[in-house]
Amino acid sequence: MNVQEYISSGVIESYVLCLVSPEERAEFESMCNSFPEVRAARDAFELSLEKYALNNAVEPEANIKNEIFSRIKAEETSTQSTSYKKETTNGQTPVLQMGWLRYVAAASIVLLVASTALNYYFFSQYKEYSAKYDQLVQNQNQMASSNQVLQAKLQDYESALSMIKDPAMAVIKMPSVPSSPNPGSLTTVYWDTKSKDVYLLVNNLPQPATDKQYQLWALVDGKPIDAGVFDIKEGLSFVKMKNIPQAQAFAITLEKKGGSPSPNLQALYVLGKVS
Amino acid sequence: MSLTTTYNEQELIAALKLRDNQAFSYLYDNYSGALYSIIKQIIQDTELANDVMQEVFINIWRKIESYDPSKGRLFTWMLNIARNASIDTVRSKGFQNSQKNQELPSNVDINVSGQVVIPDTDHIGLRKTLENLKDEHRILIELAYFKGYTHEEIAKIEGIPLGTVKTRIRNALLQLRQYLK
Repeated sequence: MNVQEYISSGVIESYVLCLVSPEERAEFESMCNSFPEVRAARDAFELSLEKYALNNAVEPEANIKNEIFSRIKAEETSTQSTSYKKETTNGQTPVLQMGWLRYVAAASIVLLVASTALNYYFFSQYKEYSAKYDQLVQNQNQMASSNQVLQAKLQDYESALSMIKDPAMAVIKMPSVPSSPNPGSLTTVYWDTKSKDVYLLVNNLPQPATDKQYQLWALVDGKPIDAGVFDIKEGLSFVKMKNIPQAQAFAITLEKKGGSPSPNLQALYVLGKVS
Repeated sequence: MSLTTTYNEQELIAALKLRDNQAFSYLYDNYSGALYSIIKQIIQDTELANDVMQEVFINIWRKIESYDPSKGRLFTWMLNIARNASIDTVRSKGFQNSQKNQELPSNVDINVSGQVVIPDTDHIGLRKTLENLKDEHRILIELAYFKGYTHEEIAKIEGIPLGTVKTRIRNALLQLRQYLK
């Protein structure tokens, strides 16, 4: 079929009056694009159809136009984001060439809303992360201080361990005496045989009343020599006592705060002999 | 009418796409009669036809953005909106409920209230030109164009091959074209 036959096949009239299948429609539209004469023939038929329809018009009732325009107006105002008033005089519709302005206005409102939403979003994100940051700083400070505590403890343990390991260190266990106010008490004296320094480790002694203090005595030839007072502390801690050049035994009594010149033997807790 | 502006087709389309009310008013004043005519050719009931008329213009207003001038003239586009809306209305009003519609003689129709009526012989618009056609052509245009049946449906109703339906419709349209003067 050549183009002229195609034009006169009735396909143009069928297409214009919507009496074609979707395939015929697509084919016809591509023919229009490829052959100007097909398009021209289509235009000609459309024009004759339009003229005929205009010449054979049936006037609708007059009120229909007003109803249509009031519906359009209602639709416009309900879809408009910015409302502007239109004046209508005697059915004549005023010129309003501001269609594009509505879209600009609508677009700017959309942008404003979007920007406000984003601002709010970013601000709440900022607040959230700021709070998280504060929390992290606080955690970090806590960890640093607990690390300091641990470091101090570790130093204590390390010095205690090196003292225990020292071969020159004499170890004197001081168990409870039979008359001890607290049976099961135990302390240990670490006595440096070179420097004669005395360190005391409290294994088990009850916490004294606030106005009392324990006092260590060195027994030299049967006589008690003051070796200093001490408090009970938590954990593994050695208390450095007075330097004792020689002794046959060590003992601990509970005395008034600050110590006594001579021991109260009623309150003798523990005793250990130097081997 | 206090219109001060006239438009050529391109100007009219551009103004309509900008939602220019004056242009739409012009469109109504110029084309409402032609479009009402096609509605009335499909829907006899005046009240129903008036309702469809409103819907058609509201739809033109709503859909003007989607109108593509490369596919055809503005009037053709509007004509098809009017025809489709009319056929949809007739079909949704229960005209298709029974098959008896298809067995009726071609010059007999059923109105909205279900009464069988003999339509005015002095018909309007395109329908008027149908009188010039042979029966076998006229009934196919009646079914295809004014009642919206597909070619396949018409082939079943009339008991003729699909190819014959297509050929007869095209021949009928080519003949009708001669009377569009």
